[in-house]
Amino acid sequence: MRFRVHAVQAIFLACFLAVWEFATRIGNVDPNVLPAFSTVLRTLAELVRTDAFLSNAAVTTTRVLLAFIIGAPLAILAGFYVGERAALNARLAQPLNVLVAVPQSMLLPMFILIFGVGNVQKVVFGVTHIFFVLMLTTIAAVQSVPVNLVVAGRSFGATSTEIYRRIYLIAMLPLLVSGLRLAIIFDVIGILLAEMYASQSGIGFLMMRWGDDYRMKEMMAAVLLISAATIGFNEMMRLWETRLSAHAGSST
Amino acid sequence: MTAAAAAIEVRSLSKDYASSAGPVQALQKIDFDVPQGAFVSIVGPSGCGKSTLLQILAGLLSSSSGQVSVGGTAVTGPAPGKISVVFQDATLMPWKTAMDNVLFPLEIQRIPERERIRRAEHYLRLVGLENEVQRFPHQLSGGMKQRVSIARGLAQEPQIVLMDEPFGALDEQNRIKMGHELLRIWEATGKTILLVTHSLTEAIFLSDTVIVMAPNPGRILEQLVIDLPRPRMYDVIGSPAFGNIRNRLWRMIEIEPAEDEAMSTAPAL
Repeated sequence: MRFRVHAVQAIFLACFLAVWEFATRIGNVDPNVLPAFSTVLRTLAELVRTDAFLSNAAVTTTRVLLAFIIGAPLAILAGFYVGERAALNARLAQPLNVLVAVPQSMLLPMFILIFGVGNVQKVVFGVTHIFFVLMLTTIAAVQSVPVNLVVAGRSFGATSTEIYRRIYLIAMLPLLVSGLRLAIIFDVIGILLAEMYASQSGIGFLMMRWGDDYRMKEMMAAVLLISAATIGFNEMMRLWETRLSAHAGSST
Repeated sequence: MTAAAAAIEVRSLSKDYASSAGPVQALQKIDFDVPQGAFVSIVGPSGCGKSTLLQILAGLLSSSSGQVSVGGTAVTGPAPGKISVVFQDATLMPWKTAMDNVLFPLEIQRIPERERIRRAEHYLRLVGLENEVQRFPHQLSGGMKQRVSIARGLAQEPQIVLMDEPFGALDEQNRIKMGHELLRIWEATGKTILLVTHSLTEAIFLSDTVIVMAPNPGRILEQLVIDLPRPRMYDVIGSPAFGNIRNRLWRMIEIEPAEDEAMSTAPAL
């Protein structure tokens, strides 16, 4: 059954790439707007051998990771703090859930005003993209911990540390992993966006410049690379999530 | 009874809650003793405070006034190794196997590894689950999960096992079967067992003494000594003596007889 699902997915992907490839070859699509898949792939192979591309990719990766290292623990701690306090959560949940609907990208000009156009602004922008989504999933994760398991733990003589480490953490893990997965994707979105506007470095900056110069081969190569990276990461995390919830998801 | 033999002593225990409708007296001046090695049940309609009482005895909830002592020492918090609790609805860690669930409290209590494994294997065998040790809770039936929970309670080798409606989630047939099995285990281990249940049949069938409680405020109506001979088999449930006791209890707590009717017919299996 699993194998069949994978087979269907592989066929779907192959069809998508084939349509992409032949649409431009047959001439229905202008190759200056959308170059053929094979052309983009070849361009990518050349790009990853140039220092300019690699150094910008390294800059973007560093920013994404830095934002994650700062933002994820902050969001998890904040989510834990709020999730553990029913009264605080009741007061915060509603406004928070309303506020996440506001596209944070609109506020980029304000971030530039406050934090300038350097690394700080980009990393902070990434952190804010991570923070709300991960904080809200953490709150949900804390509240998903069954109270009766905690009471049982106390009756066994477990200390608070043991209860947090051996009951809370494990019961929260499936939702937490799901939150981390979304957080990384939001992080990449935030960083790329910040790099596309008033910026001198990073993949986002390169893509914007290529777009302005009608260099679609290069731009699409970057799109392909980033998509492959985020899809690969997303699938990895989803696999982990499935494994975790195989047991934890089903009730006692 | 002699004071020295009491495993549990409860003296004028009260518990008040603050609620939106004003203060609620969940327990009012509760007094009773459980002798060493006895099987005592607490019955009563919902809201009579029986589960609250059990949680106070387990050290999981504080009392408002009065004294509770277990084995001669006052209860101030959970007493691992001395008191274990078998919870309603099994309360197993879904990410742990049956074996790991039984091992968990022993790890918390720093029991040496060899001893941990010996105990877990022993008690899982005692509850008849030696072939299911590597299964996860979601792979076990309701009755099996409850047996894992009982094995987990016993493996801590406490003096006293407190059980909070352990068979509440089971159907009538399994409920009586599990009760019978519990009697066998109790006879084999000689533990003191205090069981909270809302089933009169279960309480009478299992216990030396049945403590009857009533709500608003939660209080003890009577402590009834069950003088049915032991060892008890299923058929005692159909005997006239059993019926008399049950009728007496019914009248006492004025629950709908229909609610308990199903339980009196179930053991004919």
